[in-house]
Amino acid sequence: MTGERLLDVSALEPPEPLQRALAAVATLAPGEYLHMRHRREPLPLYPLLQERGYDHRTCRRGDGEYHVLIWRRDDPEAAARGRAWPQTEHRP
Amino acid sequence: MTAAPLSLEQAPPISVPLRFFLTAPAFGLLAAAVLLAGGPAPWGSRASPVLLAATHLLTLGVITQVMMGAMLQLLPVVAGSPVPYARATGAAAHLLLAAGALALAAGLWGGDPSWMRAAVALLAAAFAVFLAAAAVSLARAPVAHRTVQAMRLAILALGVTAGLGLTLAIARGRGGGAAGYALLAALHPAWGLLGWIALLVVGVAYQVVPMFQITPAYPPVLSRGLAPALFASLVFWSVATAFGDPWVRLAAGLMLALGLAGFAAATLRLQARRRRRLPDPSLQFWRLGLAALLAAVALWLAGQARPALTAAPAYGLALGLLFLAGYALSLINAMLYKIVPFLVWLHLSAHPAGRGRLPNVKDVIPDRRARVHLWLHRGAIALLLAAAVRPRAFVYPAAAVFAAANLALGLNLLMAWGRYRRIIAGNATPSPDPRTHP
Repeated sequence: MTGERLLDVSALEPPEPLQRALAAVATLAPGEYLHMRHRREPLPLYPLLQERGYDHRTCRRGDGEYHVLIWRRDDPEAAARGRAWPQTEHRP
Repeated sequence: MTAAPLSLEQAPPISVPLRFFLTAPAFGLLAAAVLLAGGPAPWGSRASPVLLAATHLLTLGVITQVMMGAMLQLLPVVAGSPVPYARATGAAAHLLLAAGALALAAGLWGGDPSWMRAAVALLAAAFAVFLAAAAVSLARAPVAHRTVQAMRLAILALGVTAGLGLTLAIARGRGGGAAGYALLAALHPAWGLLGWIALLVVGVAYQVVPMFQITPAYPPVLSRGLAPALFASLVFWSVATAFGDPWVRLAAGLMLALGLAGFAAATLRLQARRRRRLPDPSLQFWRLGLAALLAAVALWLAGQARPALTAAPAYGLALGLLFLAGYALSLINAMLYKIVPFLVWLHLSAHPAGRGRLPNVKDVIPDRRARVHLWLHRGAIALLLAAAVRPRAFVYPAAAVFAAANLALGLNLLMAWGRYRRIIAGNATPSPDPRTHP
């Protein structure tokens, strides 16, 4: 169990990516982090995450491919996994 | 192709754009009322008092209102440059524009010079406030990407349009018929339609089409060159018109036609490649608007090829209707149905009271309600065009359906606004009483 929850919002229009991300992080289990995949950098999401008690890390892989790793600030296990991504990436 | 980053932290309070958006349908209703009151007789000439009044209620009261509100919202978000004193600027520009549009309509319809003088004062103030604020914001924009570039040109064009319009209004206030009036009367609508409206639509489209319809970005050649090309062509056309050079005038006109048609074709192509296949009302408004734009370009070209066509009053009316009611209004509607729910959601998510009760953005204005408006708008365009050709038969039904379309828009926007207010008000106390809020 890698503790990753994948959320691909690349084909959604605003503000659904924000909406889904906020809904998803609210239900993260301990040790779990959210891996959000989007075609744009979700800048508006960052302050919303900040004030709700989440930290994040964004990786850009070329134009139109952004990976945002989000975890609860008070969850060190999830934080470690999120920071170590993509080593902890779940491979099918 | 990197998209411009959105900086939503700098967005103004929701009241700033929304006051413009909520007022606009009322002016559409007024325009319809003016048409109803005027009956078929004024449709013999595009410049009859009734039609001039109705046209300006539309161009100032509906189209410019929405565009001003949209710019005040977009400037800080897309250009990354806040508008100075956004709330005060928005309130002042909104009230002055609304009052000025009413005064202008009264002056154009009744011919009373005191209304015209009032209109000049109010509108001059409205544009001064808005243009100053927008110019400051645009001058300070940190990144001059394609949308910023188009917006700068649109603002310039608005200044030219307003200047020409105010000069015309002053001349009319003095009893009309000043030297050069005819020239100004020809340039004013060109700068308004092909400068202010077209350029802003282009600039905003660069953002909203890829963003809301999940399409690729506009091709860089087009997005870099279109706005400057349109602006330059408009300048050439104006100079050629002033100096009576028919060939440069024709060439510039063809460039404008090519630019507008190219924009329509490129947008339709992008939308055909969208990732979300289900068409929603916003997309259908886009298609309607772009089809109307192409029809307007085709009609203009036909008039160039066969000048005899342009003699009929129906020609000028049809051209104006296709551009204003067909193209401009449809695209405004398309954008409102995306922007308003988005703004409602965004401001609720940032509000401590709204956070726990965020509606689904799709529920803010349900598709079926937007579709009612879409059908009424389609009917209105068809009937208005029919009225241009057969006023006696079609003016009353056209005005009635146009009124209904504006009513539908107004109700839809009010519904979104009411939803926002109720959610905010419903959680006014930070710790709700458990007896009444279980």
